[in-house]
Amino acid sequence: MARVVRGNPRLDLIILAICVALAAAARTLPTTMRDPLATGMRRTFLAPLVMLQGRAEMSRQSLLLAESKTLLKDSVSLAAMKAGSLEGENERLRKLMGLASGLRWGFIPAEALHGRGIRDETTVILTAGSQAGVSRLSPVIAPEGLVGVVDQVDPTMSHAMLWTHPDFRVSAMSPDGSAFGIAQAHLRGTTNGYLIELRGVPFRAALKPGALIVSSGWGGVWPRGIPVGTVLQEIKTSESWARTYLLRPAVSPADIYSVMILRRDRVARGMDGVWESVAEAEAAAQRIVVAGDSAAKSAALAEAAARRAVIDSTARASGQPARTGVDSARVVTPAPRPTTPAPVPVDSARARVLTGPEPIDTTPTEPPPPPPPTDSLVAPPGLTR
Amino acid sequence: MNVGPVVRATITFLIFIVLHYTLRPLLGWRAPMDFLVLALLLAAVRVRPGTAAVIGFLLGLISDSLAPEALGAGALAMTTIGFGASYLKAVFFADNLVLNAFFFFLGKWVFDIMYFIGEQRVHGWELVQQLILWSPVSAAVTAAAGVILLFIMRPLLEPSSA
Repeated sequence: MARVVRGNPRLDLIILAICVALAAAARTLPTTMRDPLATGMRRTFLAPLVMLQGRAEMSRQSLLLAESKTLLKDSVSLAAMKAGSLEGENERLRKLMGLASGLRWGFIPAEALHGRGIRDETTVILTAGSQAGVSRLSPVIAPEGLVGVVDQVDPTMSHAMLWTHPDFRVSAMSPDGSAFGIAQAHLRGTTNGYLIELRGVPFRAALKPGALIVSSGWGGVWPRGIPVGTVLQEIKTSESWARTYLLRPAVSPADIYSVMILRRDRVARGMDGVWESVAEAEAAAQRIVVAGDSAAKSAALAEAAARRAVIDSTARASGQPARTGVDSARVVTPAPRPTTPAPVPVDSARARVLTGPEPIDTTPTEPPPPPPPTDSLVAPPGLTR
Repeated sequence: MNVGPVVRATITFLIFIVLHYTLRPLLGWRAPMDFLVLALLLAAVRVRPGTAAVIGFLLGLISDSLAPEALGAGALAMTTIGFGASYLKAVFFADNLVLNAFFFFLGKWVFDIMYFIGEQRVHGWELVQQLILWSPVSAAVTAAAGVILLFIMRPLLEPSSA
C-alpha cells in the first residue's frame, strides 16, 4: 500500500488540493462560525498547549516584574520602618498634648538634646532659654512625670540636670500623704538601669510595692503632685531611724525627647488635677484617632460604592447586565465605631491626693509626724548634698 | 518498516511543538523563532508530500486556533510549506547543517510571506517592513534555533544503523 501511495504523485496533489481548499474555506468562514471553531479546538485537544503557553507568559511577566516588585517591596519595608518611629513619635506628641492641655498655661515646650559625653546621662540641653521665659531652677517635666531641673540658662537654650544626677533631690510623698521622703538617684550600681531611692521615710509609714510616689511640693522648687516613680521594694541602709525604698522612675532618661519647662508663676499655682487631665486628654486623643480611622473607612466605603454605581450605570447604558454580586444602590453602612472605655483612674488614692489631702490619722498614741523634708535645691546644703 | 526512526522523529516533532508554546512566549522576542515551522520541515522531509500537506494543515490549524481572526491563513501557509518541503526534499535533504539552516530560513520566510498576505491584517508599508525586515530576522532566528536543536537532538534524528 505504501508503495502504491509512494508511486502516486497524483494522490499527493489531490490531498494538497483538499488541504488548501479546507484552509481557504476556514479563512473565508464568517466570524460567527470561526470563533466557535477556534474556541472548540482551544478547549479540547489544544487545552494542554494553551495552558503551557499561559504559564510561560506568566513566567515571563514574573521575570519582567521581578525588579519592580523588589523595588516596591523595598519601598514598603522602608515605609513600614518609618511607620514604627512615626507611631512612637505620635504617641509621645499625643502625651505631650495631653500634658499641655492639663497645664493650660505657664509652660515652655522644649526639645531635649542628649550629648555623648561622660556625664551626659545626667544632664541635657534644652532648646529654650531665657528669651522664652526659662529661669534657673525651673522644673522640667514630661507627660510621664518628673524629668529634672534647669541649672543654667542661656538666651536661646538652657542646661538641665536630670533626676539621674548625683546632686539632684526632690521632696516626695505617697499620694495619700502618709509617707514623706527625699527622692534621689540610686547610685549603688548593683541594679540594671536607673532607679530612684526614696530616703528618710518614717518607720511608721510602710509603702507597698507598686505604690505611686509624687512630688510633695515642699521647698518651692517642685509643685505638688508630679509623678516621681513607683515603689519597687524596701532596701536596707545604714540609716536605722528611717526606711529607704527603691523606686522605678516615672521617666526613663533614655526616653526624654520633648519636655515642658514650668515657669515660676505656674509652679506657684500648683499642679492639682494636671496628671488626671493628662490621662483624660490621652484617652480623648485616642478616641479622636479611632474616630478619624472610622471616618476614613466610611469615606473609602462610600467612594467604592459610588465607583461601583458608576460602573454599573455604564454597563446598563451599554446594554450589558449589571454585576449581580454587587448592589450599587445599597447604602453603605459605616463600620460600627469602636467605643473607647472611659478612662479609669489607675490609682484612686492618687486622685484623692491631687484633689485634696485626706485627714491624717491623729490617734493620740501615735507621735506627731516629723516635718516633711524639702527639696534639696532650696534646703540647707548640709542636709542633702 | 522500521518503527524506531518513526518514534524518534515523532518525539522530536512533539518536543518542537511543546517548545513553541513554552520557550517562545517565555522569551517574548520581537522577531520570535517558530518551532512549528521547524517541526513541520523536519517531518516533511521524512514523509510523502501529501502527508506533509496534511501535517502542515493540522499544525496551521493549531496555530490559527489561538488567533481566530486569521483562522485558515496559517493552515494554508503551512500546507504549502509542508508539501513544498517534502516535494523538494531531494534538493535539500542532506546531512549538512548549513544546508539545513538555509532550508529552515527559507521555510520560515516563505511561511511568513504567505501567512501575512493571507491574514490580511497588516497592510502597506507595515506589511513591507514586516516581510522585508522582521520576517527575515525571525527566519534567521528560527534557522539558528533549528540548527542548535538539530545538533542537540542528533541522536534522535540520525537514521538507525540497522
